Amino acid sequence: MKKSTGILSLIVVIMMVLSACGSNKGGSSDKPKLKIGSKNFTESLILGEMYSLALEHAGYKVERKLNLGGTLVAHEALKSGDIDMYPEYTGTGLINVLESAPKSDAKEVYDEVAKGYKEKFNLIWLEPTNANDSQGLVTTKKIAEKYNLYKISDLPKVAPELNMAAVPEFEEREDGLKGLNAFYGKSDFKSIKLFDYGIKYRVILKGEADVTVGFTTDGDLTNPDLVLLEDDKKFWPPYFVAPVIRGETLDKDPNIAAVLNAVSAKLDNATVQALNADVDINKKEYADVAKEFLEKQGLLK
Amino acid sequence: MDALTGAYDYVLANSERFWDALRVHVTISLSALLIALVVCVPLGIACAKKQWLSVPVMATFNALRVIPSLAILVLILPIMGTGFAPALVALTLLACPPILVNTYLGFRSIDSFVLESASGMGMSQGRILRRIEFPLAAPLMIAGIKTAVVEVVASATLAAFIGGGGLGTFIINGLSMYKFSILLVGAIPVAMLAIASEIVFAVIERRTTKFQRV
Repeated sequence: MKKSTGILSLIVVIMMVLSACGSNKGGSSDKPKLKIGSKNFTESLILGEMYSLALEHAGYKVERKLNLGGTLVAHEALKSGDIDMYPEYTGTGLINVLESAPKSDAKEVYDEVAKGYKEKFNLIWLEPTNANDSQGLVTTKKIAEKYNLYKISDLPKVAPELNMAAVPEFEEREDGLKGLNAFYGKSDFKSIKLFDYGIKYRVILKGEADVTVGFTTDGDLTNPDLVLLEDDKKFWPPYFVAPVIRGETLDKDPNIAAVLNAVSAKLDNATVQALNADVDINKKEYADVAKEFLEKQGLLK
Repeated sequence: MDALTGAYDYVLANSERFWDALRVHVTISLSALLIALVVCVPLGIACAKKQWLSVPVMATFNALRVIPSLAILVLILPIMGTGFAPALVALTLLACPPILVNTYLGFRSIDSFVLESASGMGMSQGRILRRIEFPLAAPLMIAGIKTAVVEVVASATLAAFIGGGGLGTFIINGLSMYKFSILLVGAIPVAMLAIASEIVFAVIERRTTKFQRV
């Protein structure tokens, strides 16, 4: 009994010390404290960390709430004010949040999403990057050669012989398997199993499945053994990534937009893919990758 | 309420996927439990009989229990790949400690004079084990198995992260899409499976403890 009270009081003391550290760290500043979110995959984590670093550098207090469950978890957190901003993709906002019909023109999609978010949720889309992280289907070179499978329109007829490695959301999204089946004709895969984002390419490279879902800026796609199937009938809308921020937060301090827009201006497909590759292939920490990049671009000192 | 009817509609629309996931979930949970039983019951008995064995064995399994199941999945990924097998290993490791510890305690707590009189009556070692020790240790062992099975059924959802399938698939998709209806398609059956196994073992427990309850 005596021992356990000892441990308990030790824990209490440690917690008090830790929380004291936390509250002292920020110092006094009149700039608002910003809570930054991201979704649960490499690219979103890197972007969330970049926003955090850039804003800290500009003198804001930042609380990181990265690695939220998925699209709508992040969106709900943003709506309720649990976070102030997170990186989102125009196509995802259009189809999954606003539940509108797909469109192919990048500018139109951005405009519709920006308008819809402002009216419905008072959320603001800042300037988009030049990085279009579309979805795609990926297979291995071996399977592509064996079935002569290079275009998605060829998939439905060979699908019964292939195992699909799905990622979270894919089976349920209108711009995922559901929509794909309606648009290209049903792909009746031999099996469909769910895998976490981090292991999907490993799964097909090891032959444990044949086709998986790729994001076109995935670093792994630089691997010559992987083949990104051509979306030959243009099913997917553009998915340009941009920070989405709460209207109230931006009203308090409009300067936040400038800081984030400066980050977005530095990002395009090749850059983002290289950053993702640094984490997924070269096994660096996403936080280090984000920091190095901003330092190299002169946005951090 | 909307989410509930939504979940029901979803099951109807995707009945094949649902039943498949349920089947995989039950298979993987039962397999993990069976392996854990086959390994841990004899091991627990051995520990109870040979005191020197108990410290290293208990320490090993308790150490394994400290590693979160999700971490185990990742740790064995390079060796076993993805899918059913690695998930089974992680779940088996989860099921082992309660079975092992309770078997050990069950056998240790038998009074030595009971064993002495049994042996004095001329019972063989094997007969003592079957007729005296097992029934006396049974309540604790079954309590251990009950704990293990509930943990395993709930944790089998993790298999979905590495392509092991099961009801976790719906939970992960529902969570990432923030759609409660899909989440419930996974969560409700998992909860019901856990409750059902709890009841089944409670019944078995009652049957095996009939002497204690007289």
